[in-house]
Amino acid sequence: MVSANDKGERKVSSLRDLPRDVQPPRDLWSGIEAHIAADRRATDGAPDERRAVAPGRSSRVRWIAAAAVVAALAVGMWIGRSLLPTTGLRTGLGGDSGTSARVSTGAGAPEVLQAAYVTDPKYRRQREALVKSLEAQLAALPPDSRAKVIASLATIHKSMQDLQAALGRDPSNALLQELLVNTYQDEMRVLTVVHEASDAGKGI
Amino acid sequence: MTQIEPEGSRVDWEGALVRRACGGDVRAFERLYREHVGRVYGLCLRMTRDPAMAEDCTQETFINAWKALARFETRSSLATWLHRIAVNVALAKRRRVSFVESSTDDEDEAIESDWTLETPLEVNEIEAAIEGLPEGARDVLVLNAIYGYSHGEAAQMLGVAEGTCKAQLHRARSLLRKKLGVEVR
Repeated sequence: MVSANDKGERKVSSLRDLPRDVQPPRDLWSGIEAHIAADRRATDGAPDERRAVAPGRSSRVRWIAAAAVVAALAVGMWIGRSLLPTTGLRTGLGGDSGTSARVSTGAGAPEVLQAAYVTDPKYRRQREALVKSLEAQLAALPPDSRAKVIASLATIHKSMQDLQAALGRDPSNALLQELLVNTYQDEMRVLTVVHEASDAGKGI
Repeated sequence: MTQIEPEGSRVDWEGALVRRACGGDVRAFERLYREHVGRVYGLCLRMTRDPAMAEDCTQETFINAWKALARFETRSSLATWLHRIAVNVALAKRRRVSFVESSTDDEDEAIESDWTLETPLEVNEIEAAIEGLPEGARDVLVLNAIYGYSHGEAAQMLGVAEGTCKAQLHRARSLLRKKLGVEVR
């Protein structure tokens, strides 16, 4: 039992009622994030023999990396512009992957929540074509590669469903929106890898 | 085509974040951090009795968790997993600053308690009494009485025998009774 006296001091009658959550006096995340970033830099900055052999390549690599960043930013901005205004609206994923989820909004009214990203006709055409050929391509893969692909897709579809449901309850959550778009991109990446591996007649 | 249906309808929001974080998504991991930091810091603070050391332990816990996330099994509880890491970190840190108190195996009395106080007391008063307990007794009391872990789970987390854990709980209850001046059942 928990009660408070006149001074507002909390009284408890069992140790089980003591607060389990105690917030730290300051935000510790920045230190954790810095550590993670430093770890990543250390991993990325491991000695590379190729760099020593061909120093001229490093500037080319930097240019390629810069171009990739610009391209990623452009795609990100496009996704952001098309995703944010449509959050919470009824749109459709289409296709038959089982990832289109009916989710409930905070008010309890079921709605199909999707991002504009997945309604883009070009994306949908590309995805439909990849999905159509997936079964045949999976059959052509070695068993262990096939199992890997199926497991990856199952994980991705589970994430999609969870994120869609969470967005149904919190439609304006930018992190959830970003995670959902990332998950769609992950699915596309897996489908493309399968397609390419199948074309090249090799495993994954 | 190969149809893969998502399992069940239960929303595993945390599971989705864990999977994203496993894939290297730092923002997903930040979300998990924000969700769990209170419980982890609370445990570290109670184990170390030192806010600065508790902050260090909390940061180290999440850094270790990030590194080991691929080994986390999503079927189990993330909170419990983080607590295990936090206990290890806190114990290691304490070992560095002081000699660890030896465990007492002389008592092996089974204790089943809901840690009810005869008279309700202020939270601060109870927290101060817990803070004043010897390390071994405090550790098991915090894990068992506050965070609800069983004797076996607490013993496993602390790396001691279950009998030792029970003995320390017995000791903690006796000391707490003296400090608070009320019966602790």
